[in-house]
Amino acid sequence: MRRRGQLYLVFILIFSGLVLGQKTPHFYNVDKEIRVEGPIQEINMEPRYVDTSPFLIIKLKDTKTQQMYNIELSPVWFFEQNFYKGEVLVVVGSLYVSGDNNLNIIAREVRFRGETLILRDKHGFPNWRGGKMKRQGRKKGKEF
Amino acid sequence: MKKLAFLVLLIMILNPSLMADSFSLSLYQNMTDNLFQNSLVESDQLSSLSFYVDKNLSRFSVFSEGTYSYLYNNPNLTYYLQDVGLDYLHPLNEKSAVYFSLGGRGAFYRSDFSDYNYLAVNFFTAFKSYTSPTSIINVNYSLEYKNYKSSLFDSLSQALLVSFDKYFQTRTTFKGEISWGYKFFLHPFLSQQTPPMTDYPASYKGRGKGRFTGGGYSPFITKPDGDGQGIQVFSLSGLIAQGLGNKIGLNLTGMRQWTLSGENPFTYIQEFYSVENPSYDRFSWFGTQWGSQLTILMPWNIQFKLGYTRTQKEFPGIESLNLEGESSGITREDRRKQVDLRAEKNFPRFSLYLSYYYIMNHSNDPFFEWTGHFFSVGIEWNFLSGGRK
Repeated sequence: MRRRGQLYLVFILIFSGLVLGQKTPHFYNVDKEIRVEGPIQEINMEPRYVDTSPFLIIKLKDTKTQQMYNIELSPVWFFEQNFYKGEVLVVVGSLYVSGDNNLNIIAREVRFRGETLILRDKHGFPNWRGGKMKRQGRKKGKEF
Repeated sequence: MKKLAFLVLLIMILNPSLMADSFSLSLYQNMTDNLFQNSLVESDQLSSLSFYVDKNLSRFSVFSEGTYSYLYNNPNLTYYLQDVGLDYLHPLNEKSAVYFSLGGRGAFYRSDFSDYNYLAVNFFTAFKSYTSPTSIINVNYSLEYKNYKSSLFDSLSQALLVSFDKYFQTRTTFKGEISWGYKFFLHPFLSQQTPPMTDYPASYKGRGKGRFTGGGYSPFITKPDGDGQGIQVFSLSGLIAQGLGNKIGLNLTGMRQWTLSGENPFTYIQEFYSVENPSYDRFSWFGTQWGSQLTILMPWNIQFKLGYTRTQKEFPGIESLNLEGESSGITREDRRKQVDLRAEKNFPRFSLYLSYYYIMNHSNDPFFEWTGHFFSVGIEWNFLSGGRK
């Protein structure tokens, strides 16, 4: 009887996970990866996904095409980095077009000021999503 | 019990909503020719293995990180650090957000440093806002309680930091920062409930020459009994950063710290490689720090950093001693120069790190007149990520 109860518990938890873990509309599509470079036009925190904090959205104008892109960065980057209007970024990410015909990029890599921020791996899976500012102080080996 | 553990593991593996969002492992190999950072040069190697796991639950995230560090020549200094925490980010509007974090930490050293074992609870909150598209204000507050095995070091500390930075179209950033901190040692004295340390710190072994009196007592103790003791510090700092294209960044920093009240309650302070020390932290000194750093994005996307730092620190309450252990009647003062090189290369699933530090420390206490080379190489694997959202 007890074993059966445990079995039910396992099924319920797994099933609930499948339901709760259902995906939201936008996903990282590696086949639609592009690279854009240009100055930041605007920086905002905007809602993007259900039940998560608003994302950091950087509006960037591509220097070559003069197209405007909304660059999506997870909320943690709002505190992790300081971005400014006019600063030039090189962004690699997955392009998707939203219902209002806006061009959006889910950022995988951002280069600026001699540094590269790796936000996702090459398969689009996010890096370092949690822990947020705790991870700011993470030591890459010994620090003084 | 094993069955229960197995069930929990099975559920965590099969249930997407319970599965960690990220899981990483890192391995660092560190080498130094001056482990204890004093004139008794002693080399050692340290291997550190860490794991990090986190899970986002709605707007909260929970995280845990553990690090085991093994020292080859001084295995009795081997230690384990464990962090756990919960944090939350809340946007106030399109340009502002607040962040809260509640965490716990345990530090467990082997025999030689077991007096430094501690459990800590910390709270951290931050507010960040764009006051204009090119300027940012940041306010951080932290509060931490630490409970040590040796209750001498038990403390409650808090810090408040306010910074403002401004970016100019010349790719120049100016940043100003004001910081205030207060650390209260709850009972930095020997009481009947506090057993004396069983031995001198490892860094003192072999030093002798009368540095210690009152045999058997910790060199940290100054009072037979008394009240708690607080130290209050205040600092001003500034930064100028210049971007030279997208691949080169240069920054200059300066900082001045004052001790507003209080002084170190111990007769002795020490720092040593990789061990967080309760008697040597940001509250233990006043003085200045200057630094510069060049960041270059090199071919093959290798990030390279070259830094140079100079510090001048005085340690109120700490007397400089001669090699016989006698007081010279002046406050200890250290002047330090540091050169550091760091490189980082990111691959799809892992990252490589390399760092080298060279430090020259000049002190009016000859025991702390030292130089040291510190080399570190590391790899971090990012194994698991919840989804591509």
